[in-house]
Amino acid sequence: MEGESIYEADSGDGLGADIISTVEFNHTGELLATGDKGGRVVIFQREPESKNEPYNQGEYNVYSTFQSHEPEFDYLKSLEIEEKINKIKWLPQQNAAHSLLSTNDKTIKLWKITERDKRPEGYNLKDEEGKLKDLSTVTSLQVPVLKPMDLMVEVTPRRIFANGHTYHVNSISVNSDCETYMSADDLRINLWHLAITDRSFNIVDIKPANMEDLTEVITASEFHPHHCNLFVYSSSKGSLRLCDMRASALCDKHSKLYEEPEDPSNRSFFSEIISSVSDVKFSHSGRYMLTRDYLTVKVWDLNMETKPVETYQVHDYLRSKLCSLYENDCIFDKFECAWNGSDSVIMTGAYNNFFRMFDRNTKRDVTLEASRESSKPRAILKPRRVCVGGKRRKDDISVDSLDFTKKILHTAWHPTENIIAIAATNNLYIFQDKVNSEMH
Amino acid sequence: MEFKLEAHRIVSISLGKIYSARGQRGGLKLHKNLLVSLVLRSARQVYLSEPGCPPEPPPAACGPPEDEPPPCTTAWAAGEAPPPQDEAGRGGPRLPGADCEGPRPRRCCCGCSCCCAAAGGEANRADCAAAAEAAAPPPPHCPRKRSAGERGQAGSPVKKPRREVEEEPPPGEQEDMETGNVASLISIFGSSFSGLLSKEPKGRRRAPLDGGEATVATTPTDAAAEPGQICCDEPVLRTLNPWSTAIVAF
Repeated sequence: MEGESIYEADSGDGLGADIISTVEFNHTGELLATGDKGGRVVIFQREPESKNEPYNQGEYNVYSTFQSHEPEFDYLKSLEIEEKINKIKWLPQQNAAHSLLSTNDKTIKLWKITERDKRPEGYNLKDEEGKLKDLSTVTSLQVPVLKPMDLMVEVTPRRIFANGHTYHVNSISVNSDCETYMSADDLRINLWHLAITDRSFNIVDIKPANMEDLTEVITASEFHPHHCNLFVYSSSKGSLRLCDMRASALCDKHSKLYEEPEDPSNRSFFSEIISSVSDVKFSHSGRYMLTRDYLTVKVWDLNMETKPVETYQVHDYLRSKLCSLYENDCIFDKFECAWNGSDSVIMTGAYNNFFRMFDRNTKRDVTLEASRESSKPRAILKPRRVCVGGKRRKDDISVDSLDFTKKILHTAWHPTENIIAIAATNNLYIFQDKVNSEMH
Repeated sequence: MEFKLEAHRIVSISLGKIYSARGQRGGLKLHKNLLVSLVLRSARQVYLSEPGCPPEPPPAACGPPEDEPPPCTTAWAAGEAPPPQDEAGRGGPRLPGADCEGPRPRRCCCGCSCCCAAAGGEANRADCAAAAEAAAPPPPHCPRKRSAGERGQAGSPVKKPRREVEEEPPPGEQEDMETGNVASLISIFGSSFSGLLSKEPKGRRRAPLDGGEATVATTPTDAAAEPGQICCDEPVLRTLNPWSTAIVAF
């Protein structure tokens, strides 16, 4: 993997508003959107490869920046609603414009991104500034012509889907039918039509009649990539539920429940917390699901509900440190996971700005670090290792010197190529694999 | 015994988290608070079921003699789902229970609030004139949990962690092993109760002392019952003294 670009966002206000909270490639990989804690969205565009500079191909540069959400105050409940962007999802492109959905805790917005690179000139009735001409001065007619201008990217909010959620929205997912999408909060999932903002259908509701009986919440959800009637949602208890919208209007009853029995030898006070699924992603093929809990990533086969088909340890050396991680709140960190385009490699983040990749075919894994040293253009990323006592090699990091404030929660993989985007606090790292990298 | 220590430490940490969550920007995070309350519950179960807890009768000041710890323990373990409906009519605010248990736990070496809570049921009636209704003898720990439970009927998830907060301070306070954690916890509660002393109506009380109280009235509630309101009731004020005594004495 080669280091390619780093983008550091720093508005200088020191309030942490630039902390990146979500990263998402669009369906072609040409655009990369990031959302941050301050409610801003920054879109990067990949430069088209040019014959003149073949080595500079495919760099991502800032394409557009806009303020998606603002902080709000719910006067009825005396609650401030954070403007942090929780998730961004791109709509499949249907015309010259690009569209994406961005959401904070309560409100989802549909944004349309258009380019303007021409401007009409030569109007008959108005002058260059747009003021109406004195008609007596118009002696001949001309046809206005389009003249080129500097590229302008315009972003407009096309829909605002508000008041659908009482609890905090944790995920959104666009359906393969390109007409509907769902939004999930802690207890409910709503189905929206992209063109209709004043109503949505509730398709999952796990709120108990008595809130004291609450034992689990919804942590993530996603539509199946091909079957528009199927979606999955994960719970804080570590289970996945596959639901079929054809079965009934309210999908409280799952069609399939994916759950692995707990290993009794690993039981601790924190077993429940570390089994909570923080992210779920269908594979591109639609055959598998990838889940991330605190210490592992698991690949599930849709056809097998009893256990995952593959389990990978992300940072098992933290298992003995759960109490300290509970104390400093790190145990609640929600890591995301990602498939590569061919579903052969999975990736997830960890601490100390490390991220991990697992090759499902060769069963090899690698730990890499997103840091400034490793990210000079065309610098090769060096694999890292965390040592847990015993023989310590040079350059190994010991568990106790891991920096838990540097966490990589959000990662994204280009839909077809080996390009990854890694969000490390307020920095965005983009790495490209120019040649096949060795994994150990 | 190690488990007991760790369990107690986890209980204190969890309480701190639940309390500080109230001041969070963006409102209470249901998921995190649910997880914290689950940890709190299992730590508490371990803590109280550990054999290292010698039975000790609560002091006379607490009132009539009470049950032995073993029944308490069972009640703790089994009593995870308090019968909120029973005590709906109790109307007593949670604090009388808290106050009565305040001084007592100090004399209970094992720190089992179950022992003390055993007395709590009767002592509440004896000492806390404020507690109007005479409740049926509850499972020992229930006095506090009940009052929380009745509040919880409003159905707000925020009440669940809050209930835990109100239950736990006695066990947290009486243990002198994790002084650091607990002392800070007490100072937190100290400052919060001073806010509770004001008799402002519910709406205004929500104007945050420190931004924290605002989130009390949070998100998903449809019902009217407001935990904050109960705190402002007069009976509470009368019985607040033993509570502050406990804090100071610790």
